[in-house]
Amino acid sequence: MMGSLRRITAVAGNTFLEAVRQKVFAVLLVFGLVLIFGANYFTEFSFQEQFKFLKDLGYAAISLTGLLVGLLGAAQLIPGEIERRTILTALCRPLRRWEFIAGKYVGLALLLAVMVGVMAVAVAGVLGWKEAQLIARDGSDPAVTAAIRAEARDPRLIQAVLLVEVKLAVVAAVAVFFSTVATSTTFVMAMTLMVYLIGHLESVAREQWLESGEVVSWMTKAFLAGVAFLVPDFNLYNLIDEIVAGNAVLWRSTLEVIGYSAIYITVLLTAASLIFEGRDI
Amino acid sequence: MTGSLACLLLLGWGGTKISWEKAMTQAQRKATYGFRGPTAVAIREKVGQGLALAALGGFRGLAANALMLQAHTAWEQQQWVRVRSSLELATLLQPRVAVFWDTASWHLAWNAAVAAERYGGESNETRRRIEARRWVEAGRDLLERGTKAVPERALLFQRLGDLYWQRLGDYQAAAECYREAISKGDAPPYLERFVGYALDKAGDKKAALAYFRDLRAQMGSPPAPERRPEVVDREIQRLEKELSGGAPSKK
Amino acid sequence: MGWFRGRVLALEGLDMEVQRGEVFGLLGPNGSGKSTAMKMILGLLRPTSGRAEVCGYRAGTIAARRQIGFLPENPYFPNFLSGAELVRYYGRLSGMGGALLEKRILELLELVRLGGEAGKRPLRTYSKGMLQRAGLAGALVGDPEILMLDEPTAGVDPAGSREIRDLILELRGRGKTVIFSSHLLEQVEDVADRVIILHRGQKLREGRLEELLTRKKEWEVNVQGLKEEDRKELREWLEKRGAQVMREGAPRERLEDYFLRSLPEEKRR
Repeated sequence: MMGSLRRITAVAGNTFLEAVRQKVFAVLLVFGLVLIFGANYFTEFSFQEQFKFLKDLGYAAISLTGLLVGLLGAAQLIPGEIERRTILTALCRPLRRWEFIAGKYVGLALLLAVMVGVMAVAVAGVLGWKEAQLIARDGSDPAVTAAIRAEARDPRLIQAVLLVEVKLAVVAAVAVFFSTVATSTTFVMAMTLMVYLIGHLESVAREQWLESGEVVSWMTKAFLAGVAFLVPDFNLYNLIDEIVAGNAVLWRSTLEVIGYSAIYITVLLTAASLIFEGRDI
Repeated sequence: MTGSLACLLLLGWGGTKISWEKAMTQAQRKATYGFRGPTAVAIREKVGQGLALAALGGFRGLAANALMLQAHTAWEQQQWVRVRSSLELATLLQPRVAVFWDTASWHLAWNAAVAAERYGGESNETRRRIEARRWVEAGRDLLERGTKAVPERALLFQRLGDLYWQRLGDYQAAAECYREAISKGDAPPYLERFVGYALDKAGDKKAALAYFRDLRAQMGSPPAPERRPEVVDREIQRLEKELSGGAPSKK
Repeated sequence: MGWFRGRVLALEGLDMEVQRGEVFGLLGPNGSGKSTAMKMILGLLRPTSGRAEVCGYRAGTIAARRQIGFLPENPYFPNFLSGAELVRYYGRLSGMGGALLEKRILELLELVRLGGEAGKRPLRTYSKGMLQRAGLAGALVGDPEILMLDEPTAGVDPAGSREIRDLILELRGRGKTVIFSSHLLEQVEDVADRVIILHRGQKLREGRLEELLTRKKEWEVNVQGLKEEDRKELREWLEKRGAQVMREGAPRERLEDYFLRSLPEEKRR
């Protein structure tokens, strides 16, 4: 047990450090600039609209940055190691193959979590700055001030950050899965990106498959079924939009989506471990 | 061997997750009163490729924000048709964003209508008034759609009341809207008095008096200061005086 | 062998056995199947038919892998690590940790002569020879019975090669079994006890070097101090006994030994 944990941590730590050395955190600077630019751009709008724009921009930037890092990182995971032959020295240890997969994933997920955390703090900071700016401008009416503060310090934003992080964690698991199946880094990146995009259409496919009583060709039905079975439903994470819109979102809904994601990740990693077990290096 | 095991696992989970996803989607749909916005496929037909891709990638908010920006720019250039179409698309993409409907109705029922009345293309004043009225009605229709999309918040009902009051002169309808807004629980404190004002303006002073009396009674003791009990008291006195035969004082 | 490429028969009908405590050489040109054989012993590849066993365990199982330390050909190490950190990483990968691991790291770095300051520098400052030795330390961290080295002296300068070969002999002295592959045949000759020669996936020859290489029918004597005129007499005496002089003349030293002898003392490290 202890040994297992040590081994997984060793792989995870190495994966994480390698990414850090490659100056992956530099991309955060670009992110920061985007945010600052956005904060100053929309000043002629009402304060509710300004906050919505900022929150949307912030969370979209976090998602995109996370997606980028996730895709590039995923490419390193296994095909990259095979190309550089560093994998041989790792796998000839008394290290179980599933431990290797788990370690690789934990390393990547940790990297994403740290980045999302830092970026979320930055978003909160910019919102606070905006709050100060707006109160200085419009702050005569206490009701308005209270409303401005409520938008900036909305505690539901924590749910939004969690959902963004968990969505990225699922994408990372998809990337690890493809890593075990593929031999080239471009393949892994392309497939993961494709799953990401199709995932936003999965609910459409699922509903059409479940409910199409009309005469649809069996090929279409099979295709729809395939998408419904194999691709995650990324529209479930649209709760983020509700939170940004300022509407109430129950913790229960968020936790259910998080639970779904956790199970999905476990399934993907298990499948990846199984495939990796039988793979010749 | 392990490869087929992996396949089995994925397919097994695939089958299980479908019913779970369905349940979660239904729950989310219910929480948003059925208004989740159109599917990515439907979007593609209405917006440009860039925005459709953004929506597909899960960045629906950015796409809708871009459309609101477009509306804003069109407003600065007095291109009212473009204003309207951008607003309609934005509210179509993200029907659950209350502030979009709010801004949209403002552009249509206030900005566009006033512009049509003052600077409209028609030389005839009557024709311009009719044109303006069309814009106001467009704003009202839009706002009514909005209240169905975000029925749990006071904001849009309040705006609708404002629209009936300021742009259509229908004070009874305004009073109804304000009443509805208050029932949501997140209306600003002054709105409860507006119901009374609207009833008064509609000419139904009896109803206005009854309303203010009820309101004052509801406030309990000691009444919360932001509910301005002294203002309500003043209104009650004024209405009592008017109804008992005194000259109608300026309101 | 990826999914989308055709399957290639890399090895056929290989029967091989390595004894405990010997230094075993896998020889052959590129593509002869040496790496394939090693990977099967390590469990990285699965044989399509037949079996591989390590110390009684099936190759590829955790128990088997615990017995082997492997140094691949031209390894890329994460070169931001230092020598010590590399050994620590491999130790952790084998499930070790804590004070025990730290002690082991120091011991091994001393053994491969990367102790002290050298072990603390990042790997990217190392020469090829130092990299190989660091990799060797990493391979030894779990105290395995068997050491497998794929082309351990490829790309290493003569002084460094000699060091590695000395290390191999020292490991044998400690009771370890060493299996290595190389196509630098001169260097193999110095260390291996037994060898196997592969060609295009088939075994050509196998046996103890002594037996394989000794030209039993001949006998060599190196003589010093024999005068010119006595040489002729010696030749005649031998021919009278029915022997045939196959070669005569001053023997040559191997270039490698001459080179190493020429270097000043400290350069030989």
